[in-house]
Amino acid sequence: MQQTVQAIIDDLSQVIFGKQQQIKLALTCLLSQGHLLIEDLPGMGKTTLSHALAAVLGLSYQRVQFTSDLLPSDILGSSIFNANEHKFTFHKGPIFSQVVLADEINRAGPKTQSALLEAMEENQVTMDGDKHALPTPFFVIATQNPLYQSGTYPLPESQLDRFFMRISLGFPPKEAERKLILGQHNRDYAHLPVRIDTQQLIEIQNKVSAVMLSEPVVDYILALVSATRNNSQFANALSPRASIAVGKAAKAWAFIDGRDFVTPDDVQTIFASVTEHRLGLQHDVSSQQIKQLINTVDVPL
Amino acid sequence: MKVTDNLTAINLSLSIVYILVLSFIFTELPPLFNTLLASLCIWNLAVTLLKRNKPNAILANTLAALSLLILFYDVGFSDTVTLFVAMLILSSLFKLLQANTKKHYQTIILLSFFSLSTVYLFSQSLFATLVISMLYILNFALLALIESKHSLKIAAKDSCKLLLLALPLAIFLLLLLPKLPAFWQLPGPKLAKTGLSESVDPFDIAKLSNSDELVFRAKFDQQKPSAPYYWRAIIHDEFDGKRWLISDILKSQQVIDQITSAERGEPLYSYQIFAEPGAKPWLYGLQFADSAHQDVKTTSNGLLLRKRFLANSISYTAQSYAFSLAELSRSAHYQNVQLNLAKETNLQSQSLAKRLYEQHNNDDQAFYLALYDYFANNNFSYTLTPDPITGNNTLDQFLFANKRGFCGHYASTAAFMFRSVGIPARVVSGYLGGEYNQQNSYMSIYQYDAHAWVEVLIKNKGWQIFDATAVVSPERLNGSLSQHLQLNSEFTSNLSFGLLRLSNIAGINWLRLKLENLDYQWTNWVLGFDQQKQSSLLKELFGNKQLWQISLIVIATVCLAFICYFVYLSWPKKPESPAHSLAKDYLTVVRWCNKQGISAPSNQTPLQFLAYAAQQLPNERTYIMQFAQLYSDVRYRQLIFSAYRKKHSKNLVKLIKTTTKRTL
Repeated sequence: MQQTVQAIIDDLSQVIFGKQQQIKLALTCLLSQGHLLIEDLPGMGKTTLSHALAAVLGLSYQRVQFTSDLLPSDILGSSIFNANEHKFTFHKGPIFSQVVLADEINRAGPKTQSALLEAMEENQVTMDGDKHALPTPFFVIATQNPLYQSGTYPLPESQLDRFFMRISLGFPPKEAERKLILGQHNRDYAHLPVRIDTQQLIEIQNKVSAVMLSEPVVDYILALVSATRNNSQFANALSPRASIAVGKAAKAWAFIDGRDFVTPDDVQTIFASVTEHRLGLQHDVSSQQIKQLINTVDVPL
Repeated sequence: MKVTDNLTAINLSLSIVYILVLSFIFTELPPLFNTLLASLCIWNLAVTLLKRNKPNAILANTLAALSLLILFYDVGFSDTVTLFVAMLILSSLFKLLQANTKKHYQTIILLSFFSLSTVYLFSQSLFATLVISMLYILNFALLALIESKHSLKIAAKDSCKLLLLALPLAIFLLLLLPKLPAFWQLPGPKLAKTGLSESVDPFDIAKLSNSDELVFRAKFDQQKPSAPYYWRAIIHDEFDGKRWLISDILKSQQVIDQITSAERGEPLYSYQIFAEPGAKPWLYGLQFADSAHQDVKTTSNGLLLRKRFLANSISYTAQSYAFSLAELSRSAHYQNVQLNLAKETNLQSQSLAKRLYEQHNNDDQAFYLALYDYFANNNFSYTLTPDPITGNNTLDQFLFANKRGFCGHYASTAAFMFRSVGIPARVVSGYLGGEYNQQNSYMSIYQYDAHAWVEVLIKNKGWQIFDATAVVSPERLNGSLSQHLQLNSEFTSNLSFGLLRLSNIAGINWLRLKLENLDYQWTNWVLGFDQQKQSSLLKELFGNKQLWQISLIVIATVCLAFICYFVYLSWPKKPESPAHSLAKDYLTVVRWCNKQGISAPSNQTPLQFLAYAAQQLPNERTYIMQFAQLYSDVRYRQLIFSAYRKKHSKNLVKLIKTTTKRTL
């Protein structure tokens, strides 16, 4: 099982160069059944990563390019009058697939954003009083441009909270970029082999939730979380939902790392990705502040 | 309304405290008053156990007034110390009977600290000390209980801790703080002790054989001399027809005229005596004894007397000299006194003596030996239960009719007979023999070892001991009365109940000897630690410093200890040590690594730190890695921290610490 995961990582590394950490974080998110938000400048490979992820996991996926004039029904689907049968039939939108790639989610207006986020939370779509269940597993991988860019509608905190994890890719290392320029690099994710099916993915997810989370590690998570609650430099303290997410993510990370137990090291690795977007920090200092937070909290022995 | 949460426990414990205090001092108080105190204790117990109401103020106060009258009537004013002790205990018990507020209980507990301490006025034995210490602990616990909701058990535990903490300080002060002479001293209580008395009535000493109370212990500096040991205490030189008394001349002559050392010659032996508190000032020594102790004076007859503090035990060194011939001339004018006898009494004895004296050509020495023969050959026997003799001529009756007697009978008769032929003689009472403890080579002398014998002045030979017991019951001379085989059954049936009575059972005798030994050590090292011993100890420790300098050093040390303690208390606390023992081992490794110059920021996880350390310390890498593996197995993987893993962890820590040393 872990070999499969390792193989997936290797495959993705062939597409996204020199970003193994981010790839693993993204997988962590998916294995803990959370929705992923990738935030970075245009042209950093966000979309490539999300496509490659969906492709490698062998899941059905749809890409939705969010624009300022995108309407909720463009995502969810709409009821159209069927002249033959004399009634309205529901035409499913792109959200009815296992993986939804919401590209540049903060370009759309709040109404459209909300429609997506409701689906993320409830795993269902309500249209004209009918409930339509979404497929399982259901992932949303959203990308967004940094908020200071023009033409963006920032996601409100409550909706950011729905995302399990936020990662950013960052500039590639020089060597990787050299290869990119030279074009020696095959970026076609369509060629990636499908490593697992849905059944296997669910199995892996079950295994992840069975990973041992020992007392000292829980203590450490609590210490970190309560440190954000007692510190005024964090606009929003971490909610219990965030604590749960940290625990889950640490489990998944340990699993990817080939272990069946969590260590405080795992918590330190995933902590920034899981909590950064929930703390309401200024974008440019957020990673600094979280590093500082981790530095000030003692690791329980 | 509830006064405190532990009312029953406090009431009960205080009653018990007072019952125990009473059990220690009841011998010193008159029986009526004892009964009164005991019934007050029982009343307190009953009120608590049966959950009855306490007596109201009018009843209690009336009773208190009545009890005060009984106190004054029964205890009397002659012995102020006992009077005040009695008053203290009486008032504490009445207060306890009426107590119904926190303040009351606090007062009573404070009073009971004093009540407990009064026991030491009367008894300083090891047993008493142990019991009183326990009661002190209990008392402290009760003081804490007044204000707390905890159980008595927890309070007692804390109280133990408190006293244990104070113990080193107390020992330090006892040993090193110079004992200054007191400006004012409590007069010692008069002890109701059995012991030798000023007059020898033949029946009195036999009564002493009922008591197994310790009188004194003796430890010889060198090899102990061979038996018999005649421990002299009192000289009786006046005979009133029935009893032997101390003459006024002797009383007035108690203080020694300085005898030069040349006259005395070399001491025969020197020894240390640990004497128990007594009612009378007489102390004990062999032959012609002399002591340089500041509280002991030596009389011209070689007896030792206590100057003061009869209620305390005393330890002194004494030397013994041979009865000196010098004493002959010195007391020439006084010889006549030693010839006095009640001429009209015991005519038969007088004539017997005269007849014997004439038969032996009026030779003192020959008569001395003949008298021994007489006692040996005329069916005299030694007994602890002599038949009562009444009438005027008691000696005649004993000598010719009964022929059964205790030492007093033989001594009286012999001295009388010597005097009737004009040989100066006197009855000496003291103790004979003693029980020898092999382990610590000391002798214990008990009341039942009391003895009376005769000292006679033989011309040209000086004072000689004449002891008819030596021929009537020779065995008695070689040890203690308790070891006397023939008299054993008589002796044990005579004795009031005690371990000694069961001393034929080997186990109990062993136990008795062990306890006896323990008590000896206690007396020797604790009670015997007086001003003299301390000053020699201080001299050894500090050299020839002034007393005030030593005091200053000691007090400064104590102050320093307190300051250190308070600094320690207010010192910023280290983080609590981790509960898991593997985490402690991890910290040991961290400390060791820190010494090697590898430090960890506090946010570093244990595994990160260990990985870093392994990288930095190639010698220890394997062990550090193994330790990291163990750590994550136990702490994160939650494998059981079995005995094997515990051992493994300890081993790894040891290996990590010693690898470099071994390779160097």
